[in-house]
Amino acid sequence: MLFCIFARNHSKMQRGNTYTWTRLAFIFISGLVLLFLVAPLLGLFFSTSLPDLFQAAADVQVQQSIGLTLGVSALTTLIAAVFALPLAYLMARKDFRGKALLQGLIDIPIVLPHSAAGIAVLGCIARDSALGRLADLFGLNLVGSPFAIGMAMAFVSIPFLINSARDGFQAVPLRLEQAALTLGASPFRVFRQISLPLAKPSVLSGLVLMFARGMSEFGAVVIVAYYPMTTPVLIFDRFNSFGLGYARPVAVLFVIISVLVFIGLRLMGRTGKKNNDVIL
Amino acid sequence: MMLSCKEVEYSVGRFRLRPFSLELEKGEYCALLGPSGSGKTVILELIAGLRRVHKGRIMIEGKDYTREPPQKRPVGILFQDYALFPHMNVYDNIAYALKISGMTKPDIFRTIQTSVHELDIVHLLDRFPDTLSGGEKQRVALARTLMTHPSVLLLDEPLSALDAGLRDASAALLKKLSSDGLTVLHVTHDPKEVELLAHRSVTIDP
Repeated sequence: MLFCIFARNHSKMQRGNTYTWTRLAFIFISGLVLLFLVAPLLGLFFSTSLPDLFQAAADVQVQQSIGLTLGVSALTTLIAAVFALPLAYLMARKDFRGKALLQGLIDIPIVLPHSAAGIAVLGCIARDSALGRLADLFGLNLVGSPFAIGMAMAFVSIPFLINSARDGFQAVPLRLEQAALTLGASPFRVFRQISLPLAKPSVLSGLVLMFARGMSEFGAVVIVAYYPMTTPVLIFDRFNSFGLGYARPVAVLFVIISVLVFIGLRLMGRTGKKNNDVIL
Repeated sequence: MMLSCKEVEYSVGRFRLRPFSLELEKGEYCALLGPSGSGKTVILELIAGLRRVHKGRIMIEGKDYTREPPQKRPVGILFQDYALFPHMNVYDNIAYALKISGMTKPDIFRTIQTSVHELDIVHLLDRFPDTLSGGEKQRVALARTLMTHPSVLLLDEPLSALDAGLRDASAALLKKLSSDGLTVLHVTHDPKEVELLAHRSVTIDP
């Protein structure tokens, strides 16, 4: 199918007289990369029978884990947005000393090994930490709770929301915000009615990216909460305890859900995207 | 005195505005002339409160506005690129200031109707800014600014982006606003505009 798309574009190129060997080589190499991405997923799908898939979908433990994963990730994303959007706006609009350092700090979770991120989050919520002791006063143990899962998900995925929203706010012309101020709007009203609606595609894209990244997190989550099991942990557990055949249907089910989220992300991100075609 | 700038100083990066003073009487139309990079637009932004004055004072109708934020100043500004909100239609753009002031919907509708008839933009109310011509955008931006009933109207190169025919119409409109008693400070680099519109002119040295 991919090669059909390329062949169609190829004939268009010849008509447009922009055909070059460089472009042909690039198309071929790009095809190999796409094959590398698609082949394992197709292998996963073709080696799982429909009855196995339906059995996995009917499994209460699987259903509960998918519900937990999606629910915690969605709630975490919404709560994180309240904190991430003002920070993203400041990063887009203000110049201050130490801004580059702060940007590095925001990006740290992206470069950390996720198991190390899990250990870091565990240190914050363990019984001997300030937060852990506070929860203990109310008889709660944060480790192994949906709260711990949300913390781990947020820690590794919040940079995606902050960076995407920051890019969106940066693309809003400053003049529009200034015009609103001179018309009597308070800075918060300007943020709400001008900056946020105009940065909406990037903010939505960031929210979906954070949600998708959070729900697929394994390394950090497994350290703070093996139980209750999120779906990535459940897939690992079934693979570890019963083998590949038992883990695969759950994996396929979760891949389908992830792909649906991914399609949603691409559809939302498409609005306002510039054409970045370069003639090679 | 309607507008009074006293020894206003400002600098950003390598740009430095020399101490600037200006006094405008009510209803006066003053042109601010100067080459590119001389700081004409910066002066408008200082008066509007979009930049913070480093030294000196800005008084409007006898009140000191030097430290007041832009939303508290009785100043309207028409930006060179018009700065219309692209996600709102013309009606919502014009109604923006009125909604902030807490006016009821029927009152907003009545107020806008009078203004859009005068500016000949009544047929544009449902359109979005990206579908308007330069002249139409300017009239909409002007209508939007005038909704705040500014004491001083600041114009940043209002005629430079328009072609010859529209320029005459726009100049006539600005002249009419001035004759209605509005105090205007008009930034330009074209001496012809000064001759055509202004009571007097002030030149900024680079």
